[in-house]
Amino acid sequence: MQRIRTFAGIAPATIMVVCFMLLPILIIVVYSFLEKNPYGGVRPELSFEAYSRLLLERDFDDNLSFNPSYLLILFRSIWVAAVSVAACVLIGFPVAYYIAMQPAERRNLLILLITIPFWTNLLIRTYCWILVLRDTGLINEMLLSLGVIQSPIPLLYTEGAIILGLIYTYVPFMVLPIYASLERLDVRLIEASRDLYASRIGALRHVVVPLSLPGIVAGSILVFIPCLGAFIAPELLGGGKNLMLGSLVQLQFSTSRDWPFGSALSVVIMIVVMLALLFYARNARNSGTELVH
Amino acid sequence: MRDESLTPAIQAIDICKSYPGSPPVEALKNESLSINDNEFFTLLGPSGCGKTTLLRLIAGFEDLTSGELRLYGEDISSMPPEKRPINTVFQHYALFPHMTVVENVAFGLRRRGTDVSQAQKTALEMLDLVQMSQFANRRPSQLSGGQQQRVSLARALAPHPKVLLLDEPLSALDLKLRQSMRTELKRLQRETGITFVFVTHDQEEALSMSDRIAVMSAGRVQQIASPSEIYEQPRNRFVADFIGDANFFQGKVTHQNGNTARFRISPEIEIAARTENTPPAGDVTLFVRPEKLDLLTSATSETLPGDVREISYLGNTTDYAIDLRNGPSIVVRSENHHNGDALALPGDAVHVGIDPSAVRVLEA
Repeated sequence: MQRIRTFAGIAPATIMVVCFMLLPILIIVVYSFLEKNPYGGVRPELSFEAYSRLLLERDFDDNLSFNPSYLLILFRSIWVAAVSVAACVLIGFPVAYYIAMQPAERRNLLILLITIPFWTNLLIRTYCWILVLRDTGLINEMLLSLGVIQSPIPLLYTEGAIILGLIYTYVPFMVLPIYASLERLDVRLIEASRDLYASRIGALRHVVVPLSLPGIVAGSILVFIPCLGAFIAPELLGGGKNLMLGSLVQLQFSTSRDWPFGSALSVVIMIVVMLALLFYARNARNSGTELVH
Repeated sequence: MRDESLTPAIQAIDICKSYPGSPPVEALKNESLSINDNEFFTLLGPSGCGKTTLLRLIAGFEDLTSGELRLYGEDISSMPPEKRPINTVFQHYALFPHMTVVENVAFGLRRRGTDVSQAQKTALEMLDLVQMSQFANRRPSQLSGGQQQRVSLARALAPHPKVLLLDEPLSALDLKLRQSMRTELKRLQRETGITFVFVTHDQEEALSMSDRIAVMSAGRVQQIASPSEIYEQPRNRFVADFIGDANFFQGKVTHQNGNTARFRISPEIEIAARTENTPPAGDVTLFVRPEKLDLLTSATSETLPGDVREISYLGNTTDYAIDLRNGPSIVVRSENHHNGDALALPGDAVHVGIDPSAVRVLEA
């Protein structure tokens, strides 16, 4: 009886994890090892074709040769995601710090303001960036009329536009966890560091940042993961010119009808994310150590 | 070169601190005081008396509303905390949780530009001084409260500040630990020769450690004196009441003979008090410590009759609350003798002996 109760208690969580996490991942992993069906879907035959296609290309004579194009897409995606994470930290930390230093009732209001962008659909918000960035958009028109530039500078459909879109979309995910860790920070520790000859910057560097590192790490993870597989910003603001992983996966399940390859790409994204998490976890543990023993 | 031993370590000149609000809160009202070099100076008072505000002003965590603060003659009023050669031991230790014990202690030295190996060496010496060197590589969270407080002390002493501020450092510790830390603090002050400014609301702490005590109340310093002077010759009723226990009487002087005056404290009771100055005419407050009174079973010319209302046993002493006949009630504290039996029981008729030299006349 007691055991049944215990199981009943954890059942909802178990069902959640199994149905919405483990099963989908399992399906993706299994599909990545099957043969593709020319009209979409898979045929139940074991194949490593999808993974070999990541690096190798089969020419008309059935010879395999090295093809770096997917690898390049992977690296570009990691690069774009990493730059976005770094920018989100640089923008998100001061914002979170400012909010955390406000009186309590003011803080809740400011946190509410941070979430306002989520009230509008992401697609619409990204389209708005097109209006801002295009050749006849807000920025170019303004610079032209001020005489700063003679002809429009290409802002839209660049890697910069993609990164801008990603930062814009995901910076709240950086602000919130950093704020959560700063809110718990004991301000007396800042006083103690100032008392012990640390300047304002020194207190920030040696006390505030190390102690909010869990928040920074959590935020970085929350931003890095969706950035790596982002689809809307690269598609709309990058014009699909510079393929990113997210678009590539989407292509495989739609136009290319190559589900195994799409699944294999997804598995690769998962592996990259997991490696990134491991790297972060290790870094977080070693941080904050000043003296070497 | 100025002789630092003659210049006060800390000199506060007409300092005010008020916090905005309606009406503004005056935490410190126009106060002036000097703290001597190499002195164990205590700010004593109930919570909200302004003692912590004064400490935070000296540390530089708060800005003066008006007035001037000097450190060995140098104006430090608008100096940020990191520029003041003053360190603080915080009430709740405030150790950096992300650093080891030795890193905590080396923090101040490192920020002042001492190189890593020298900072570590000094930090270990400081940990040795507070008997914590075996914990050098632990994290603060792995230490007990008493151990954390020792580390906090070592951290504040490591940069060898000119003045060390201690903000109720013992209040979070248990009684036994508190008592041993008192001796320890006193020893550290002697060994380092650093001026200590100690904030507490605990009179025992203040009396046992200090060279001088400033008793504060309602944003003002009530009296600055040595512990024995504070106890024996409190300037006003607040000081007398806050330090130790006291019996107070309102009375009028009836006649004076040399340096002894007689005061009428109720229509039928007069008591004598030794006075240095001529007591003011009109109402004065008299005070006498309970342990300076004698509980007698037989009357003499200078005793007052009364009835024991209740007794409270306090271990080494017993307090007898006595209703004086036709007068106020009074508490007599008497040492317990070998068998611990009470001298009198509730309801017993007794006589209270009051030595004129034990009675003091207070400023209004």
